Amino acid sequence: MHLVELSRAEHSGLKINPALAEASAARQHLIPVVASEFRKAATQYPLVFAKNPETGRFACFVLNGLEPEENLFWSGTKMDVAYLPLNIRRRPFFVGTADPASGANDNVLCIDIESPCLTAAGQKSIVDADGSDSQYLREILAIVGELVDGQKRTSSLIDTVLSLDLLSPIVLDIVLEDGKSLYVEGLYSIDENRFRSLDKDKVGMLWDEGLMDLVYSVIISTGQIYNLIRLRNERESLNRAWRNNEK
Amino acid sequence: MAHVIRSICIVGGGTAGWLTAGIIAARHRSEDGHGIRIKLIESDTIGTIGVGEGTWPTMRTTLKRMGISETDFFRECNTSFKQGAKFARWVTGDPADFYYHPLVLPEGFPSLDLASAWMEYSEQRQGAPSFSNAVSYQEALCELGLAPKLITSPEYAGIANYAYHLDAGRFVSFIRDHCVNRLGVDHVVDDVTRVIRSETGDIAYLETSKSGQLDGDLFIDCSGFRSLLLGETMGVPFVDCSDVLFIDRALAVQVPYDAEDSDIVPHTVSTAQKHGWIWDIGLQSRRGVGYVFSSSHTTADAALDELQAYVGEKHRALQPREIKIHAGHRRTFWQGNCVAVGLAGGFLEPLEASALVLIELSAEMIGAMMPATRETMDIIAKRFNETTQYRWDRIIDFLKLHYILSKREDSRFWIDNRAPASIPDSLKEQIELWRYRAPGDQDFTSNNEMFPAASYQYVLFGMGFRMDTSEREPNRHARAVEQAFARNESLKAKWTKTLPNNRHLISKIREFGLQRI
Repeated sequence: MHLVELSRAEHSGLKINPALAEASAARQHLIPVVASEFRKAATQYPLVFAKNPETGRFACFVLNGLEPEENLFWSGTKMDVAYLPLNIRRRPFFVGTADPASGANDNVLCIDIESPCLTAAGQKSIVDADGSDSQYLREILAIVGELVDGQKRTSSLIDTVLSLDLLSPIVLDIVLEDGKSLYVEGLYSIDENRFRSLDKDKVGMLWDEGLMDLVYSVIISTGQIYNLIRLRNERESLNRAWRNNEK
Repeated sequence: MAHVIRSICIVGGGTAGWLTAGIIAARHRSEDGHGIRIKLIESDTIGTIGVGEGTWPTMRTTLKRMGISETDFFRECNTSFKQGAKFARWVTGDPADFYYHPLVLPEGFPSLDLASAWMEYSEQRQGAPSFSNAVSYQEALCELGLAPKLITSPEYAGIANYAYHLDAGRFVSFIRDHCVNRLGVDHVVDDVTRVIRSETGDIAYLETSKSGQLDGDLFIDCSGFRSLLLGETMGVPFVDCSDVLFIDRALAVQVPYDAEDSDIVPHTVSTAQKHGWIWDIGLQSRRGVGYVFSSSHTTADAALDELQAYVGEKHRALQPREIKIHAGHRRTFWQGNCVAVGLAGGFLEPLEASALVLIELSAEMIGAMMPATRETMDIIAKRFNETTQYRWDRIIDFLKLHYILSKREDSRFWIDNRAPASIPDSLKEQIELWRYRAPGDQDFTSNNEMFPAASYQYVLFGMGFRMDTSEREPNRHARAVEQAFARNESLKAKWTKTLPNNRHLISKIREFGLQRI
């Protein structure tokens, strides 16, 4: 990966195939999401909290698999999902900070000039023939804008659930149909029992801060883990069938 | 009518006083006004000794129970990780001579006896790994300067077992603020001018310079070496242990690092010298180094030369502080309505960091056993004294063990330390047993043990103690033993690759904090 600040002049000739962005998630078991995506994401994925390995701080993710580097939604050609997270759709673009040394929080749009999405056969460009922003770039800017805006509410959710002591580790101790067992650690979710025993003031606070629907999205989405187990069992049985055929 | 215990008065605002206040207040919910009231009187004219820069792993539970954030503790107290101790030059005095007493227990301990298996193995082969290296992965972490956990590990949770090194002065202020602001401990800054006793012999109240009379149902003496309440007032005599443990002086210095990002050694280093040993404790911003020696075997000037030789160039700018140590403890620790915690109860050389842990254990025990009434207090006092005496005896045994296994001949200090008359009978008996089989839980049957049998194994076999295994029954668990050795090797491979540099992790904790979960 090689990120550079996007320049409409310098990068005007780049050809981009956005469909290839999905392939970059083929081996990603966690994809970061922001609060504004929770409702849509909850229809498809378990929403989980996990720690950044560099800082130990919590962030929100959708879970794609039951082991590191496993993405059970990746079909081989695309993400077979009804909702694709913004953090995949923005690729090959990234949000960077203008000058980390200055401490200023100005975001700048960056592009990964080593991304496989950049290909001569790509149909999209960042600027139109007249030099104005292309429809594609305007979509990307909207996505990136939503990510930047959504980060604030996501952090507020994380701070609040931590201060209310609502987060607890989820330990997935799964036995697959073929008897193989999986043990998944490092994931956290909202503890429903603790949430239900909050006193009225705290519930009121969640409501007033507009966090209540996020909390429910997380709790409801937990059931999607059964979908991941189903997908994993299907994958294992396909693999078995494949191996038996080879013999 | 029964005299109900409602208030505690602690005398002394050093580490012992504030830790005791915090531990009891957290347990008895002093902050919401329904539990036992605790007040602590501290002088602003008497300084604290500030001994004990090394803790045991127990400190993690102690701080957690008090409601302290481990992140704050790292940020405020110059704290660093301690993964046990490295003992250098204790056996032969040779520069390459060292062994570890790590905090991770031997793999499979206590159900598997790896010690005997290692003994047989190392007799059959040249170049067998050291005992601690064969049975635990922690020595490897220490030698590589790695931390015992990750930035993603929750507060107080470790991958490898750990304790702390801390700045005693900052620790006292940190605990004091927590006690006063969060745990509802009343803080009185004043001098005690007189201790007034009732006709029963109990302490009735304290007279102070400015605050009038301070009363209490139970008085806890944390006044340090002076032992104002238990020693001076109640007249409980001091039991001298210098016939067993000869160390009676310390010369302490604070040594700056070469650079701001110098590595922080993740364990205590104890290097034997001609007439004692030097502790070396790496905090975030400096090292704490000190030579403890026996003044009947050498002079302060000669000791200073040895300390200078150890510290090197930097020594010129440093001002060593001399502290007198009286090895020993009070004959009883709880008498009437007065109990002593910390130096007021006694002190031993800091070889196995027993000072802070004894404060924690004593305060926990006082909090847990808290008598409901004055009438039942004497029963509790009797139990407290039995347990505490047992603990002191075990610590003395364990410290002495380090000296009797040494083969150093370079001074009377080391030779005298092996004189049979200086060795407690309880230790002699254990050593007799261990000539034929490894220390195990069967040798330590109290509920109030200080050091697990594993600690004895680490010191014995680290110092080259040989067990006669020729008459042993054949090992029925050979396969399990082999698997345990293999498991240790794979843990070693995994964690030496995964765990971060000690300084790096501490910097990250300062910057990002650890999560509570």
